[in-house]
Amino acid sequence: MKKFLALILAAMMLLSLVPAMADSPVEITILLEGNNVTDDAAVLEKLNAYLNEKIGVTIVPTWGTWGNFDQTAQNAVNSGRYEYDILFTCSWTANEYAPYAKKDAYIRLDDPDDNLLEKYGAELKAVLPELLFEGAMTEGPDGEKGIYAVPGFKDFATMNTWDVNVTLLEKYGYTLEDVEKAGFYGWNDIFATVKAGEEKDGKVFYPFIFEGAVVERYVTGTPIITGDANGLLSYYMNTEDVSTPGAYGNVIFNKYATPEFEKFARQMREYYLAGYIDPAIAIGETATDTWRNAQNTANYLISSEVSLYGYEFTTSEQRGIQVAYVMTTDAPYIDNTSVQGAMMAISSNSEHPVEAMKFLNLLNTDPYVMTLMNYGVEGIHYNLNDAGEVEFTDARSTYSPWTNGLGNVTLLPPQKGQGADFQKRFAEFYGNSKKLPIYGFTFDSKPVEIEIAQIANIKEAYALSLCTGAVDVDEKLPEFLSKLEGAGMQKVVDEANAQLKAFLGE
Amino acid sequence: MSTMQSKARQAELRMRRTPSASRKKTFWLTTMMLPATIWLLLIRYLPMFGIVMSFLDYRLPTRKIPFPSNLLKSTWVGLKNFQFLFTSESVTMIRNTIGYNALWIVLGLLISVTFAIMMSELTKKFLAKTYQTMMFFPYFLSWVVVSYFLFAFLDPTNGMIVRAQRAAGGDVIDWYNSPAYWPYILTICSIWKNTGYSTVLYLSAITGIDRTYYEAASVDGATKWQQVVHVTLPQLKPMITILLIMNVGKIFNADFGLFWSVPMNSAPLFPVTQVVDTYVYRAYTSTGNVGMSTAAGFLQNLVGFICIMAANTIVRKLDSDNSLF
Amino acid sequence: MTTAVKKRPGSFRLNMISRKTEAVFHLILGVFALACIIPFIFVIIISFSSEDSIRQIGYSFTPTAWSTAAYTQVFSLGDALWRSYFNSFFITIVGTVLSVTMCVLYAYPLFRKDYKLRGFFSFLSFFTMIFGGGLIPTYIICRNLLNLGNNYAALIVPMLVSPFNIIIMRTFFQTSVPFDLIEASTIDGSGEYTTLVRIILPIVKPGIATVALLTSLAYWNEWFLCLLYVTKRDLYPLQYLLMEMQRNAEFLARNSSMIGASGASAIAALPSQTMRMAVVVFIVLPIACAYPFFQRYVVAGLTIGSVKG
Repeated sequence: MKKFLALILAAMMLLSLVPAMADSPVEITILLEGNNVTDDAAVLEKLNAYLNEKIGVTIVPTWGTWGNFDQTAQNAVNSGRYEYDILFTCSWTANEYAPYAKKDAYIRLDDPDDNLLEKYGAELKAVLPELLFEGAMTEGPDGEKGIYAVPGFKDFATMNTWDVNVTLLEKYGYTLEDVEKAGFYGWNDIFATVKAGEEKDGKVFYPFIFEGAVVERYVTGTPIITGDANGLLSYYMNTEDVSTPGAYGNVIFNKYATPEFEKFARQMREYYLAGYIDPAIAIGETATDTWRNAQNTANYLISSEVSLYGYEFTTSEQRGIQVAYVMTTDAPYIDNTSVQGAMMAISSNSEHPVEAMKFLNLLNTDPYVMTLMNYGVEGIHYNLNDAGEVEFTDARSTYSPWTNGLGNVTLLPPQKGQGADFQKRFAEFYGNSKKLPIYGFTFDSKPVEIEIAQIANIKEAYALSLCTGAVDVDEKLPEFLSKLEGAGMQKVVDEANAQLKAFLGE
Repeated sequence: MSTMQSKARQAELRMRRTPSASRKKTFWLTTMMLPATIWLLLIRYLPMFGIVMSFLDYRLPTRKIPFPSNLLKSTWVGLKNFQFLFTSESVTMIRNTIGYNALWIVLGLLISVTFAIMMSELTKKFLAKTYQTMMFFPYFLSWVVVSYFLFAFLDPTNGMIVRAQRAAGGDVIDWYNSPAYWPYILTICSIWKNTGYSTVLYLSAITGIDRTYYEAASVDGATKWQQVVHVTLPQLKPMITILLIMNVGKIFNADFGLFWSVPMNSAPLFPVTQVVDTYVYRAYTSTGNVGMSTAAGFLQNLVGFICIMAANTIVRKLDSDNSLF
Repeated sequence: MTTAVKKRPGSFRLNMISRKTEAVFHLILGVFALACIIPFIFVIIISFSSEDSIRQIGYSFTPTAWSTAAYTQVFSLGDALWRSYFNSFFITIVGTVLSVTMCVLYAYPLFRKDYKLRGFFSFLSFFTMIFGGGLIPTYIICRNLLNLGNNYAALIVPMLVSPFNIIIMRTFFQTSVPFDLIEASTIDGSGEYTTLVRIILPIVKPGIATVALLTSLAYWNEWFLCLLYVTKRDLYPLQYLLMEMQRNAEFLARNSSMIGASGASAIAALPSQTMRMAVVVFIVLPIACAYPFFQRYVVAGLTIGSVKG
């Protein structure tokens, strides 16, 4: 039987060999995510001519969209077929960076035997902040840590904020300071006043609408631990100074078994029962739409948001109110999740890794390449105004790649309204952000995979309801905890702590 | 009527006796099967090597270790990939999967056969056609769209039912937080969506029935009801049996969209909405382990296979003509 | 037939159900049919609602404001939309013709009791209905071995044979073809193919129409194959083009802050929720129009049958 199997497999191997093409210039295929591109002819003509002259490369981008990228990337990676030299990856797509690097989907760029990054990406290495590469370090198939993708130089720090509708707040005589001072546990009065006032004409108003799946992090000060895809683990940071460990030190907990979580859940229950929270955000499939709809129609008082530099100008204009973002930590913090938010990896199936690296190097260091690929052709897709700012034309609608998904955004000229020194201010703002003490740590859940698979189902049954106050804490929390225990939660926590200890070299 | 049946039987017997079952006939009939057979071998049988992934810690193929040698390089983990399916939680999901399926197979059969017979008896054919067209519409609407439709009624703030309750001053039901109602809601949704489809199958089977049977019956003085019992139902038996057997084979597979989208993936409803497919999906998205989802699929199919073989054996014993093979 | 009834106005309605029973039938079927069509009407209403109305009062039969923004958005696809309509029709027609032919050819011998390899071939197709290799192995075979990718074949070939339809077709043969008919024609000395085409096929027309209906619906609704095998926009079928567009809009609406401040303002204007429904209208209307064509064969026979005495 085994022989037979081997025979069949051998036969298939022969069939699956694809004849290699030797063309000049070398064609580099790229799978990108999040784009709205229907006509790239003008861009590619200019870009490829330039790239051919500079490094002897032309590119064939596949403009993946938010709708189709995940499946396309998974096929490309799982089938082992040579289709793409360069793949977009990050900490939240189907071809998630850390686990797929471990599974040998990407080429190690700083491989001691063949250091592509040093040989063909020296400029790139010099331009990107060192801490980006630090955050890109992850375990490979051999268990060694290495860099498996070029991280994007973009808004690389996390800013968990309360999104406050200041216009509405001031209508009832409160100030932003009142919200900040009272904090999550003291908003009862504000909510009561605003709700009563807004509901005078008989409509239903919910002052507090947020992203239930993550809001607990804002209150308890627990960042995402990379690799903990289900949000089971908590690491308490020091929200007064995120670069130092919190009260518990560098320890990981079962998120739901801490007194902090219970206190948070009880407060949410109180708000929920008082009618301050929209019940629709407690329902899995309607949660996100409800939250976003409330924000977009300015139909909220306080909401939650992972904010960006300068984001309040965009949202204030868009919603027709004054929006303010109240940070829940003393500074934006740098963690793996934000650094690994958009990366470019070279596929293990690539036949031209050297040329792929050369291209990535140019994309992240040459303003001409980056601007062309991102904003299109000057005179077709955009024009520069007197202040040197980019003003898009109508043709932009046929060519709008996802800016942050491509690479070093600091190479781009400012857009209209951003001001000439935007990139400088941007870099400065994120330059002032702080690294978490556990920055660089990735939890490898493989050793406890079976437990995770079971726990994921239990967690889904309770977590969102508890975090939005939709169920009774006294009844459901103990039930939840005992089920988690039964499914081996302790084993997961112990494994995570052991890995963290090893990472910190303790 | 009895003469008709005996005539058919005689013909059948003669058929079996005739020496025309020659090689030539077998040859020509076999050539008919060739196109689909080649397709089945290439697209269905060849990929079945993938079942082996259930027992592997799957290794991705790369340039250095291309497909399919990556399979040989993958670690053999035995039944480890199946482990996550057997927990204290699995009782609920197995009960739900099999319970709903069994109920819906029976209900679906009764309703669609009844509808098909009713439609075939209507004298206003235009209306019959209209009903039938309308009944097919749910088939076009995905479960996601259905879930929004339902949400328009049950939405905790703006839902039409909820508003009516509030206006009447009565208790407002928090639908997405109350498991008790959902077995009924899911059942109605399932029947609503699938009846049109199976009614068409039964209706066209009725259309195909030889009219002489009915003529003979009415000459014999059979009432309409007697005709249904003695002609229509026996003639529908092959279709009923085959659809039953095939449904039994899917008893361990649930309609993912129905159990995921329609209850809006609402956590408090899990006790009545968790089925094998939703459980596996959550486990798969949390671990990304292809081996685990392949293992679960394989187990589901194995159960289905056993059920189908059992059902087929029973049918073959009772009535060999109508069995699947 | 109608004349026969007219001639004897006072007499009982020959071989028909009573008026009372029929009224009850109409009531039951009518109510159910209405329940089936109302959600679709709802879909149309939502597709013409304004996005703001949905944001404020949720999905409703009576939105606060109307809008054609969703349709404008879909029509903004321009040529790509019509191109995808063509692709969908092409794939559906070619796929259905090929698929039904293969299905009938496979099912007919299975129905023949005098065919020796019947059991073997029945099992061969049935087994694949239960067991499969899974997504990735199938993808590897189709892509590497059969070179299905970025061509029409990739959107047609993987769905050509459906074991379910084969079994249904065989059952139609069983219920509508009398055995002596085959015997008679075999004695006549006609070849197997001639018998099938000239004598058997006309009898099983309702069955073929049904299988053709099911197959064409499956092809029309298919988008997953495109997601797997096609990246060229020229080849996108309607379903996929619209689905991708809608998923895109939904993703953007849900993750506005992730894509960066610069693009966020464009997003709030996207009618993502009404578009979801407009997309359904675009997809369902053509096939709903084609439906009566198949139905003629499915229900036609009834007209003769139930009135005949």
